[in-house]
Amino acid sequence: MRMKMRSRLAVVIVTMSSLLLGCYPQGPEATEDLDVVLTYFRDGYDFKAKTTYAMPENIVKITGNLQEGDAPEFIPDATATLILAEIDKNMLAMGWQKVEIDEDPDLLLTPASWDTTTIVYWYDYWSWWYGAYYPYWGYYPGYVSSYSTGTLLMALIDPKVVGANGNPIAQWTGALNGILTNSYNASRVNKGIDQAFMQSPYLKTN
Amino acid sequence: MGFGTGDLGDFISKPSFRGITIDFRKLVQPNIGVGFEIGWNAFYEAKSSEVYTIGNLSYSGKQWRYNNQFPLLFAVDYYLQPGEKVNPFVGLGIGTMYSLRNTDMGQYTLEQDAWNFALRPEVGVMVDASPGMSLAVTGKYYYGFEAGDLDAQSYFALTFGFVFKKL
Repeated sequence: MRMKMRSRLAVVIVTMSSLLLGCYPQGPEATEDLDVVLTYFRDGYDFKAKTTYAMPENIVKITGNLQEGDAPEFIPDATATLILAEIDKNMLAMGWQKVEIDEDPDLLLTPASWDTTTIVYWYDYWSWWYGAYYPYWGYYPGYVSSYSTGTLLMALIDPKVVGANGNPIAQWTGALNGILTNSYNASRVNKGIDQAFMQSPYLKTN
Repeated sequence: MGFGTGDLGDFISKPSFRGITIDFRKLVQPNIGVGFEIGWNAFYEAKSSEVYTIGNLSYSGKQWRYNNQFPLLFAVDYYLQPGEKVNPFVGLGIGTMYSLRNTDMGQYTLEQDAWNFALRPEVGVMVDASPGMSLAVTGKYYYGFEAGDLDAQSYFALTFGFVFKKL
């Protein structure tokens, strides 16, 4: 009778624990779930007093080392055109006027991008140790997985405001970050650009 | 089932349907049982994309919030009708509760934890189902005092379980 009770108790505990572990929530299910947008502005800068901006026609890709003589890289023109058009659309909606760089714009909007690859490496030391002593046992030497993330950075710079080192200071920064996929997804990027401006109402001049 | 209150309720508003407790009591008198409780309650909520602002910095995206509670308590129960088919009881637990909170956003997680000093009053009823086994329904309130990275963590729990006698 006692053994039967203990057996029942053990079955209940094991079953409930297994169900609980199996039902543990798994979190995000799609790459776009991990997209985030960050914006930052400097205190005391009066955006409403400015009206014009200029922006380059390509987007530099931050990679390599220019100081060692590497030529700057740019993201493909077709992709850059779509991104710059979306930025222009948002700036126009906020009352800004786009001018050429030689027309003395109030602000410069400098877009840039980079990607990083994270490598996850798992190595089971103990399986390797057993394998070395008992070669007839199978062992797993480890596995490697990786993922890449991309970041699009937008900075609004007042060329007349410089820091102590003589470099201009970004008065507003917007950054989009997400997991990279095999193909460019305009919808994801446009959504991020729109969000960056949506959470920056202080940029409105109209 | 668990229902967060206070700081836990503010962090995760959804009730939890993931939880298990294991209790042991030894009858030191016909109507007093002394023992321990260990448990796990998992609170979870997926938040749709929102903007979070601190000063001049705004950060937007989806969040996945997890709050895991692990109570480890010394427990005493008082049974109002020992030996009867329906046996209500009240009890108190005192001990510690490990709280583990994760806030996942983008590729990062913010992890906070604490070992809280905890109190747990409870009220419940046992109903005999078969010789040596009863069914129990219990209402509990866990309160873990502020500690570590977290404010006080508290929640109500409604539990349904089996009672095995004379192990």
